[in-house]
Amino acid sequence: MTALTGAVLAQNALSAADLPQIGAPAIEYGTLSPVLAITATALIGVLVEAGAPRRARFGLQSAVAIVGILAALAATVWVSIHDLGKVSFEGTDLLARGKTVAEGALVVDGPTVFLWGLLLVFALVSMLMFAERGLEGGLSGFTGQAAVAPGGAGEREATMAGIEHTEIFPLAMFALLGMMVFPASNDLLTMFVALEVLSLPLYLLCGLARRRRLLSQEAAVKYFLLGAFSSAFFLYGIALVYGYSGSFTLAAIDTAVSNQIAGQNLLLAGMALISVGLLFKVSAVPFQAWTPDVYQGAPTAVTAFMAAGTKVAAFGALLRVFFVGFGGAQWDWRPLMMIVAVLTMVVGAVVLIRQTDVKRMLAYSAIAHSGFILTAFAGAYEGSAGTATITSVSAVMFYLAVYGFSTIGAFAIATLVRDGGGEVGHLARWAGLGRESPVLAGVFALFMLSFAGIPLTAGFMGKWTVFSAAWSGYAWPLVVAGVLTSAVAAYFYVRVIVLMFFADPEGDGPTVAVPSVMTSAVIAVTAAVTIVLGIVPGPVLDLAQNAGTFVR
Amino acid sequence: MSLVWPLLLSCALFGIGLYGVLARRNAILMLIGVELMLNAVNLNLVAFDAWWGDALRSGQSLTLFMIAVAAAEIGLGLAIVLGLFRATGSADVDLAVVDTDEQADGAR
Amino acid sequence: MLAMSDYLASYASVAVILIVGVLLAAGMLGANRLLRPQQPTAAKLLTYESGVDPVGQGWAQSNVRYLVYVYLYVIFAVDAVFLFPWAVVFVAIGWAAVVEMAVFVGFIAVGLVYAWRTGVLRWT
Repeated sequence: MTALTGAVLAQNALSAADLPQIGAPAIEYGTLSPVLAITATALIGVLVEAGAPRRARFGLQSAVAIVGILAALAATVWVSIHDLGKVSFEGTDLLARGKTVAEGALVVDGPTVFLWGLLLVFALVSMLMFAERGLEGGLSGFTGQAAVAPGGAGEREATMAGIEHTEIFPLAMFALLGMMVFPASNDLLTMFVALEVLSLPLYLLCGLARRRRLLSQEAAVKYFLLGAFSSAFFLYGIALVYGYSGSFTLAAIDTAVSNQIAGQNLLLAGMALISVGLLFKVSAVPFQAWTPDVYQGAPTAVTAFMAAGTKVAAFGALLRVFFVGFGGAQWDWRPLMMIVAVLTMVVGAVVLIRQTDVKRMLAYSAIAHSGFILTAFAGAYEGSAGTATITSVSAVMFYLAVYGFSTIGAFAIATLVRDGGGEVGHLARWAGLGRESPVLAGVFALFMLSFAGIPLTAGFMGKWTVFSAAWSGYAWPLVVAGVLTSAVAAYFYVRVIVLMFFADPEGDGPTVAVPSVMTSAVIAVTAAVTIVLGIVPGPVLDLAQNAGTFVR
Repeated sequence: MSLVWPLLLSCALFGIGLYGVLARRNAILMLIGVELMLNAVNLNLVAFDAWWGDALRSGQSLTLFMIAVAAAEIGLGLAIVLGLFRATGSADVDLAVVDTDEQADGAR
Repeated sequence: MLAMSDYLASYASVAVILIVGVLLAAGMLGANRLLRPQQPTAAKLLTYESGVDPVGQGWAQSNVRYLVYVYLYVIFAVDAVFLFPWAVVFVAIGWAAVVEMAVFVGFIAVGLVYAWRTGVLRWT
């Protein structure tokens, strides 16, 4: 503090002549085309909302969203072919490909493009779930009029008139935009803006469920307040790191951290506060409290989108900030992250056992899986040139792919098991589902086995990669803790399977709604990916490994 | 002026905001607490910006972005809280929400 | 580099303007009070509320409709924040800056079109 007391603010005040010449920024529109495509999709969505007749809106909006995502996917493939030239940077001979764009605000490198691809695919299948109208008698699973009180006359009128909120599609596109920019941001300012663009539409979407609207609105309030709270911490951390290094750019922060230019207190406090914001988004313990409530209350399609997408974006950003920006201080943050990883795995797995609601169960499962991903993160194994050992970055990306598909599939099935009052939440009511609909129960069992990490499913390969990366980073206690908690969680997943196939149904048992082709496609695709990634993980694993390390 | 004074003030503001979020149970007052925390960050950024004599003024730029984003956040937050208020007649975050399947049936 | 005293001195004019402003307003109101006849009636003592008779207590809740207008106002007020740094550099950058700011304002205009078409701007 003495150094600070001596510091005088006005000392460095600049006169106008000291200001740098500011020229027109160079923007690489081609390299940024996936992001620009999603931006355009969202804006077109808003205009469609303003201009199209009400009857045509729902179909038009879903078509716009899906076409936009497909265009962005094509652009991503194009970028991966054209813009991922190998680069080398000082001090390491690790594989890295890509470049910084938009005057250093964003970086499009191997991991960025891989995560973009994942996010777009997840968004595509989630949009199919958003567009599902076969389950509520020709209406979507979102509330008809968010402004009227639940259970009142206004709501009945809206339902009778078939009024629907079609804003959900542009909102989801804005959230997707934030998710894509978040892991690609090369400075903390861009990262903050992306975090908010990602979060704000999701807060709103959480409160729009058609059934159990109070629960849904309560989830939105909780998510919003805790999210705003955590982003305040994130910002305070940014301010302190800025105070330490004098810049928001990750590369400049890295230089400052490696050279230890000032007392470490500012840096340590800043890192801790930034990690609060990021760990909140990945729902790591002790910042997981919102997860079960929000996952349960939000419309199931939103939960699926959020569970897969937010996790991808937030882990991408977490890895980039800590590997690139704070890489020089890894002996300061790694022990703490190891503790967080173990806590997250243990709390996720142990509380999972006590769950009785399907969506809460999947929420605690999401927490436990965050813990598994954090093991690879805390292992911080960056690879060494010439060896093919899987790196932490590749392991995390592969695990995100595996987990995202399984979780979207599981939530899609949760929308189909229904009774008169909507989705059946209570697990006990799922008893006997195996007799009612063997195929659906079989696919759900597949996802459960994948979550548990049973060989020949994608989950096993995912766990193997993250534990292997953690092992290479000498974080073997995490591997031990991971294997033990996997076993605990597996007990629960197997119990769900036993319940579905061998228990007697309670009363009439649940009915399985017949979905339109959209939800069926979602379930088919996610189940196929879960099997294929379990049996032949090679191509995707190679893709993740070839993405290389972060460009700085 | 010494750098430490704005930092101390910002710390105090952040602390007051933090206390507000943790101690208040009314969603609007919690929102005000969050705003205080954000403004503490703004003060911090501007102080550090002046201290570094940052030629690009990046600290002040983030402050501008934060002002814009905080306005969006508050607008959205008020809308969400208003929705809950209309449904329950209260903005108390501790209120137990009862939302039975029967009620959802009635809505149909 | 400015010395500390110069730095503070540059704020002196702000302080002078503040003092002059306060004195001006106080002087005008004070002169008014001295010169005018004083005949208070009940109607004159009512709180001035844009020409409408005040209704209810001072703590009355305002209509929720105002929220939307306030929010739209805040959007434009806050977006003006970005215009100021832009105004500093736009001569140096030229047409590119104009186009980029037009894109930015266009984004907000899309939001306004949406608000207009969904009927938010109609009072009833």
